[in-house]
Amino acid sequence: MRLEIFPEKCTECWLCAAVCSARLVGEFNPSRSAVYVESLLPEKLVMRPYVCIQCDEHPCVESCPVEAIVEDKELGIYVVDKELCTGCGACIEVCPYNGLRLDPVENYAIKCDLCRGKPRCVEICPEEVLKIVE
Amino acid sequence: MPGGYVGKILRVDLTSGKTSSEDLNLQWARLFIGGKGLGAKYLYEELKPRTDPLSPDNVFILMTGPLTGTTAPCAPKFAVYTKSPLTGTFLDSYMGGYLGAELKFAGFDAVIIKGKAEKPVYLWISDGKAEIRDAKDLWGLDIHETEKRIKDEVGDKEVKVAAIGPAGENLVKIACITVDTYRQAGRGGGGAVMGSKNLKAIAVRGHQGVSVPNIEEFIELTKEITKNDVVTEDNLWAKTDGTPGFLQMVQEGGVLPTRNFQMGVFEHANEIDGDAVKKILVRKRACYGCPLGCGNLTQVKEGPFAGTVIEGPDYETLALGGSNCYISNVAAIAKYNLLCDKLGLDTISTGDAIAFAMECFEKGLITKEDTNGLELTFGNVEAYIQMPNLIAYRKAIGDVLAEGVRKAAEKIGKGSDRFAVQVKGLEFPGYEPRGSIGMALAYATSDRGACHMRSWPVNDEVFGDMDPFTTKGKAELVINGSIGQNLYCAKWSLVVCDFYAIGYENMARLASAATGWKLTVDDMKLIGERIWNLIRMFNVREGFTRKNDTLPYRIANDPLQGGKADGHVVKPEDFNKMLDEYYKLRGWDEEGRPTKEKLKELNLI
Repeated sequence: MRLEIFPEKCTECWLCAAVCSARLVGEFNPSRSAVYVESLLPEKLVMRPYVCIQCDEHPCVESCPVEAIVEDKELGIYVVDKELCTGCGACIEVCPYNGLRLDPVENYAIKCDLCRGKPRCVEICPEEVLKIVE
Repeated sequence: MPGGYVGKILRVDLTSGKTSSEDLNLQWARLFIGGKGLGAKYLYEELKPRTDPLSPDNVFILMTGPLTGTTAPCAPKFAVYTKSPLTGTFLDSYMGGYLGAELKFAGFDAVIIKGKAEKPVYLWISDGKAEIRDAKDLWGLDIHETEKRIKDEVGDKEVKVAAIGPAGENLVKIACITVDTYRQAGRGGGGAVMGSKNLKAIAVRGHQGVSVPNIEEFIELTKEITKNDVVTEDNLWAKTDGTPGFLQMVQEGGVLPTRNFQMGVFEHANEIDGDAVKKILVRKRACYGCPLGCGNLTQVKEGPFAGTVIEGPDYETLALGGSNCYISNVAAIAKYNLLCDKLGLDTISTGDAIAFAMECFEKGLITKEDTNGLELTFGNVEAYIQMPNLIAYRKAIGDVLAEGVRKAAEKIGKGSDRFAVQVKGLEFPGYEPRGSIGMALAYATSDRGACHMRSWPVNDEVFGDMDPFTTKGKAELVINGSIGQNLYCAKWSLVVCDFYAIGYENMARLASAATGWKLTVDDMKLIGERIWNLIRMFNVREGFTRKNDTLPYRIANDPLQGGKADGHVVKPEDFNKMLDEYYKLRGWDEEGRPTKEKLKELNLI
């Protein structure tokens, strides 16, 4: 399972990040979410979410100096082991999809784990910007 | 502590340069919720009566509500609460965008600003802290440039910025505040209050959270309400068309302001309507947490205004900056919209001011000597598009119009007050009351002057089944209707957007789920009525009574031309009948002052 992003439909409502943060930290706090929204207004008419799409190449895994990005065999995806992560940001640097960001409070790399099966961002998005691809 | 709130207020004294933080008054929060209610309460308690709105003593409050920052549908808004320099009344003016939510994430429910900085400054708020920063290099810049520079300076493009433009700096009384590039606190001159305090902008960034008692239940509730009550046929117009979709409906009802409120229909309406806007539409934009996304990001690709990019124009801009000025070129209106946004002007009042000046010009009351040589006739695009700059920089006739049409008419004289269309100094929005008599009462009794967002009888009289020309039931409609003053007070206290037609029941459910208090439908009704009465007390304290709850001359005397309401006026005897009934239903005396009994009933004394 992976995510596909249809950025041209994004309205910049941030609901994806709000529900993601509710799961990750138990409060509404979009800055502590695995998904975030970029807006290039007013220079460019571009708004879009960024989130790990579970790509096949996963350069993040190889970039990690402490091997904190590990395979979750059950889900068939790579996830960040929060305990091992030092927050160095190497994975963020190498990700071609801008799919990871640092948690501003606990300083670890937040990587989407697809809510372990039923991604909330996909469910809440009013414009179907985020979709599941099996 | 109840959920929803973050529990802190930021206080800023620009005179001394000191900032401090204090606990939110939860006793008041229980009585007034947030937004309009709590903003009004703090303003009522902290503003000295008869304060000059542009003096350092005026109090300027930003207030959110307990839903702000959560997943509650259509609750991105926050507002400024202050005394209006345009009307002298209470002023609340609402903004969408993201800054309201960000303020909560930064750890504050509200910001209360007093005093005046010696030199231009901006306020930087982040994660429980605040700093007053030098804005010498920002002063004079337009709003988009200001926002960009602040983001660059802070080094974070996710910073949210509310700023004023040259209009606010020059104390133009119809100056707005723009937030997140394209969203405005448009009405009543809040931009001038910031300007008078040398406050160029407020920038916010936060990494803290908003908590509710049971976040999983809360999310389920908001999803259920979104599905069953928000993304439904009643509200879907916001998603599909946005506000420009109103234009043809308003035209059909004969209440589209045209030629400075001389007419109720515009022969070129189909050139500036929803379909016309769709032709330049690129994509939709929403505010924080909104599943509707009414914003239309548009781009003009050809002609003299090619390159114009804007979120808009919205209905009000199309009406007041379009038909009311007899402008039938949607690209020109988009350009006007962009100019107003960057200069920091309310597109409603500015459109009315230009239309008023056009009528003055055509009647020979002002000449090219006053207009910098512009042939300021109705429909003249070349002249029209110069006007926002003249007003923002107070040049030529712009200096007169910068005071709003009421003051402009006093200055110009020669009977021009007979077509200065305003109540208490606030220019009319886009609904002609001669074809919707309930709207006349709504305008006259609105807390901030002629406003369509306190009650909106147009919905029943023009789009619904009620007779738009009879007074029967109109006082009740204005007070207790589904788009009435009491419901809207409750709604603005939760700061839910206008475009979600929420009822008391879902207000109570959302407010209860966010705070943990058990709030009922009756509680929400009482809170709504309490807020309206508190604000009436504010205005009475400032000297406003029945003598100010009036209609402009034109509405009472000049027969409307064209459309369904052709030939109609709002007769003074009809108006007074509605007003008497309104005061009686409100429990106010004949002068429009709340009685002691009423205030006791509402726990206001």
